[in-house]
Amino acid sequence: MASVELRNVWKIYGGKVQAVVDACWKCNDGEFFSILGPSGCGKSSTLRMIAGLEEITRGEILFDDVVVNKMPPSQRNIAMVFENWALYPNLTVYENIAFPLRVRNLPEKEIDRRVKNAAEFLGLENVLQMGVRRLSGGEMQRVSIGRAIVREPQVLIMDEPISHLDAGLRARMRDELKKQVERLGVTTLYITHDQVESMAMADRIAIMNLGRIQQVGTPLDIYYNPANEFVAGFIGEPPMNFAAAELLQEGDDFVIASPSFRFKLDDICKSNFLQYRGNSKLKLGVRPEDVCVSLTPLPNCFELPVDFVEPQGDRTIISLQMDKDQTFLAQVLGNLRPPVGQMVYVRFDQRHTHFFDVDSGENIFYNR
Amino acid sequence: MNKNGTFDNHGETEEIITRKDFGYYLSHILLGRGGRIVLLLIFTLSILIPIIYIASTSLKEPIEIRTSGALFPTGPITSINWIKAFRNVPLVRYLFNSTVVAFFSTLLVLTIAIPTTYSIIRFKTGGWFLPAWILGTYVMPPIVVSIPIFAMVKMVGLQNTLLGLLLVHTMANMPIAVWLLDSYIRAIPKELEQAAWIDGYSRWETLLRVVFPLIRPGVLATGVICLILSWNEFLFALILTYGVQSNTFPIGISRYVGEHGLQFGEMSAAALAGIVPIYLLVFLFSRNLVEGLTRGGVKG
Repeated sequence: MASVELRNVWKIYGGKVQAVVDACWKCNDGEFFSILGPSGCGKSSTLRMIAGLEEITRGEILFDDVVVNKMPPSQRNIAMVFENWALYPNLTVYENIAFPLRVRNLPEKEIDRRVKNAAEFLGLENVLQMGVRRLSGGEMQRVSIGRAIVREPQVLIMDEPISHLDAGLRARMRDELKKQVERLGVTTLYITHDQVESMAMADRIAIMNLGRIQQVGTPLDIYYNPANEFVAGFIGEPPMNFAAAELLQEGDDFVIASPSFRFKLDDICKSNFLQYRGNSKLKLGVRPEDVCVSLTPLPNCFELPVDFVEPQGDRTIISLQMDKDQTFLAQVLGNLRPPVGQMVYVRFDQRHTHFFDVDSGENIFYNR
Repeated sequence: MNKNGTFDNHGETEEIITRKDFGYYLSHILLGRGGRIVLLLIFTLSILIPIIYIASTSLKEPIEIRTSGALFPTGPITSINWIKAFRNVPLVRYLFNSTVVAFFSTLLVLTIAIPTTYSIIRFKTGGWFLPAWILGTYVMPPIVVSIPIFAMVKMVGLQNTLLGLLLVHTMANMPIAVWLLDSYIRAIPKELEQAAWIDGYSRWETLLRVVFPLIRPGVLATGVICLILSWNEFLFALILTYGVQSNTFPIGISRYVGEHGLQFGEMSAAALAGIVPIYLLVFLFSRNLVEGLTRGGVKG
């Protein structure tokens, strides 16, 4: 097992396309570390550089504080689970799992012991002699994990390992994968575009967009304290609401105003803004569950018409009509179902209301 | 809503189909089971008749060959042509030469073409130019390069040798081998090779132990096609070989020109003897061959 560290790593294709820009992060020994981002954000390039499948344009990658830039993939003692599993189609399950051991010329007894162990661990004992072509998606997935763990790698890399499975199986494999990796205790780098996977499985997440690391942190940290507008909007389902707003000073009070809403900042928020000297035009972000909707007036609230109502049983998603065809989603308890068109009283939970810089998208109160 | 109503409806729909789809019946007759068999029979016969003709000619009396053009022998059947074919001309030697040239040139082609194609696809060797160039040489008529090739072979002193000819065949068949192997190698997911690298194989080991087993059917098909091409090749064999020790079978056939004109009977017997091995080969590998050709055709 090992830690993985990236120091100012760049990947530039053909001298022009910047796939990875100045990536700096460290995944600790034994950690489940997820790289999350939309497709084309550079997460696969990052991972391929860590695996040694691609050259590093600039910067250093370290395993346990040793630079591995020039080391071929075979010497890095890593294992990889591919998106399409990359099983050898002409071999049986047994031979697929045994493959990395055969490459290392281990004695036959040792190979057999390790393959049997891995198969037992993954519940594959019954299909060992089958050809991999006849397996189901979930089984293929487990075989590819078997092949990865059988030689006890110091780093396990998984590239969208369950995104090819259908939704139900995916949810099950998520739990299973997490359990297996936890039992192994191996350092794991998990690449995905699915925030649910990252949030559910990872100890820490690095969020990437357009080749840049946006934020590195624990799932809850990223959820409650997003570094910028991208992270805030990318994490969470339904996604965070954003609206342009203006900061006004009225006597001793600070007021956030827009054509659709206007509210006074409470003391905690106000103390934050006391030192603020930036642009008075801001972008406000608030998650649907932090939008309180009420049929009776609340203190410091404003009124908005209901655009549509989406009951989901335990909860109701209410879409509120803002100006310029914008809508705000609110997630409330399932028993609240106001009719469409009715004016309702709305208040934002100010502990979880975020303010972003209009130009840079940075969270104004995010302390790096 | 009674029985009659439903029946009427049925009749109507059927009639509409009949009126609309005359072509449907036509194609049904042509492509139905019976029609298919007839079509295939016509097709097969048109290919087989020349061979049947050769076979029957090789069994006819020389007199009958000159006087009658009938498909099947009308007079007595004889084996004289077969005996003469092997006695008057060193046919066995020609067949041996052809076998050596075809076998070793194919072996060489595959040995060179597999890594070449792999390298072109995976490492973009030669950029866009090399694949285009390889295909270009395949399109070009071989007669264009016959003189330079003769000069080159002579320069290294390999004229009139099997080695010389098989090297030229290797060169001539290289483009088609690369072209056929291309789609097979392309079909292998990159991740499979990357998994092998991570698992500890070098690039060469990956090619030999991971890629090669997967493209084996394609290699087999390519090999058979190269064998056929080399076995049938006439032009280079004509230019580069001029003696019994190196003449191949297609050249050997032309030896059956005697004082009294063409010896049709002997030639037919020799021709049949020459096509049997290659037909057997194709028959044995027909499944691979069809797959290889169609894949090359679709993807190439």
